[in-house]
Amino acid sequence: MRQVLKKFVGVAAVSSMLLLSACGNSGDQTSGSEGGKVEADIGVVSFLTGSGAAYGEAIQGGLKLAQEEINAKGDVKINLIFEDSAGKQDQALTAAQKLINSDNVTAIIGPTLSTEMNVVGPEADLSGVPIIGTSTTAEGIPQIGDYVFRNSIPEALAIPASMQKAVDKYDVKKVAILYGNDDVFTKSGYDTMKKTAEEMGLEVLTTETFQKGQSDYNAQLTKIKNLNPDLILASALYNEGAVIMDQARKMGIDVPFVGGNGFNSPEVINIAGKSSNGLIVATPWYSEKEDEKVQEFVTKFEEEHGHVPDQFAAQAYDALYILADALKNAGSSDRDAVKDALAKTKDFEGILGNFSFDEEGDVLMDPTVLVIEEEKFVEFK
Amino acid sequence: MLAELINPYYLQVGCFILINIILGISVYITLSTGQLSLANAGFMGIGAYTSALLTIHFDLPIIIGIIIGALVAALCGVLIGIPTLRLQGVYLAIVTLGFGEVIRVIFVNWETLTNGSVGISGIPHIGREILKTLQGFGFQPMSIGLQNNQFIFLSIFILLLLITIFVIWFFRRQHQSRVGRAFAAIKLDEKAAESMGINITYYKVLAFAQGALVAGFAGAMYAHILAYISPADFAYHRAVEILIFVVFGGSEVIWGPIFGAFFLTLMPEVLRFISEYRYMIYGLIIIIMMAVRPQGLIDVPLLKALSKKGRKRGQKHGTGNHKSM
Repeated sequence: MRQVLKKFVGVAAVSSMLLLSACGNSGDQTSGSEGGKVEADIGVVSFLTGSGAAYGEAIQGGLKLAQEEINAKGDVKINLIFEDSAGKQDQALTAAQKLINSDNVTAIIGPTLSTEMNVVGPEADLSGVPIIGTSTTAEGIPQIGDYVFRNSIPEALAIPASMQKAVDKYDVKKVAILYGNDDVFTKSGYDTMKKTAEEMGLEVLTTETFQKGQSDYNAQLTKIKNLNPDLILASALYNEGAVIMDQARKMGIDVPFVGGNGFNSPEVINIAGKSSNGLIVATPWYSEKEDEKVQEFVTKFEEEHGHVPDQFAAQAYDALYILADALKNAGSSDRDAVKDALAKTKDFEGILGNFSFDEEGDVLMDPTVLVIEEEKFVEFK
Repeated sequence: MLAELINPYYLQVGCFILINIILGISVYITLSTGQLSLANAGFMGIGAYTSALLTIHFDLPIIIGIIIGALVAALCGVLIGIPTLRLQGVYLAIVTLGFGEVIRVIFVNWETLTNGSVGISGIPHIGREILKTLQGFGFQPMSIGLQNNQFIFLSIFILLLLITIFVIWFFRRQHQSRVGRAFAAIKLDEKAAESMGINITYYKVLAFAQGALVAGFAGAMYAHILAYISPADFAYHRAVEILIFVVFGGSEVIWGPIFGAFFLTLMPEVLRFISEYRYMIYGLIIIIMMAVRPQGLIDVPLLKALSKKGRKRGQKHGTGNHKSM
């Protein structure tokens, strides 16, 4: 046994030597500026494998498209380094550590999930690396620190906007709330709904919960139907949300639904069909907006990927443009200079609309409210 | 020179390897009495939440939080160990899996305490606390040529390494003691062990509690290294992941789970350069392993062969050597 122990120690020693020697190469800073042209390495932590790979793919697509365009313009040269987080906090953290310490990136875009950002954000902030979330909508993300930003519209902005419009239009007094209580996303959406309903003075008839992957919602819906609300607030992801709408319509509930950010997907229409009519969501991204930039982006993206870009692609696309803008203004790829330039971003005209950071690094913009009518997303007026 | 070599990324990966090794050992302990427990993710969660909540709400020092977290997990281990004594094999696996899920659902629904599925953020970070304490004594990492974050991760890594070595040492000693022999006897044949005068109830619950203690400890460390936990971290995916370390490495000797955790944690990091294909290769390796060596990579004959080879180098082949491998 002693011999074995010796061998193990030997193997461990050799492998740690290899590890250490491997990191010796990575000390040199590759990015710098030459003759006014800023060159920078940007790290991306994204959900590329596993259950949420579709998000990561959309984000990657948006970023790559933006990178091509920005590099073609020539003011700024951006190299993107993609790292996978597989949707796990520990993986996201190691990926970010690699980007910060081994690749010496100027800034990080990502990670995809708010839970990952809760872990990565403080670390990036301590290391002094600007980090921009493009899909992190939970509360308290930019408040982590000075180096933490996001350009994804938080639930706290999106849900009240859609609720306000729906309440005004349908003269709502009584609402029922339905939410998934085992998911970070839907839970934080529910918190916002509850708070907004209280502020608006709406009467909450009942609050029902469901779990991820549930397929039968008849118990909750029957209760809601008997209470006869004017509006249903549903904080659900699109796969459960679409089934909920389908079962509700079949049961004869015909009041409109207000959903959170996770409910906002063309998939709802594919799954629920006619039953999806009457779903109201607020979104930063509307692909049919009559705007030259938007239409150019949609055409280019469609050519490459064969489908219309979703909000994740659009937000990632804009994030890289905002970062490129900051790099240009900073005039160097120094992390602190970029952070200061980012914080000054104001009235940036992207494909999402007019965009500014507030003093905490959170989003200042007006979301578009959409409603599904005749199985199509249209602007809700 | 030294400072150049210390990269927080490698230390971070090292820390997760060490935590996973401790988790692997926790499953190995219960397995060494022949009980397959899938509750270790739940115990890990109990340790993590207990320690996180205590340090946040009562300002306890992290070390006390971690110890209490581990003890609470051990207590739950005893509580679940006693009623499930009569169960074996898959039945025990199902009950313990159910227990793990119950724990997760409690974390999700006890919102006033656990903040529901949103999780707890702002947990004191063990490395940052160490740095703060040392700075209080007038120590600056720069004086030994390190950046703050290098020092933070180096301190966590060394701490974890010492603890892991202690855990391995302890359970290797135990394996060769009276307790270890009792565990082995129970694993081989419960009835025979009982008729030899071994108190089965005591030893089985002991193994369960030890597993829970170690898992709870690993969970508490996990919470203080990530500084954020949510119920989804301790779902059955985690239970299966821990089990894979043991199954992959081999469950007969303690080196099995250690190797399994080391290899399977390092693998996805080493394979980063092939980005989206890395988990495919990870899966492939596990499938090949299961087909070729169902008992796990490291087992008793392999260890024997290794040690014999080492001892008999230069000699003619010894007696009984043909038996191993």
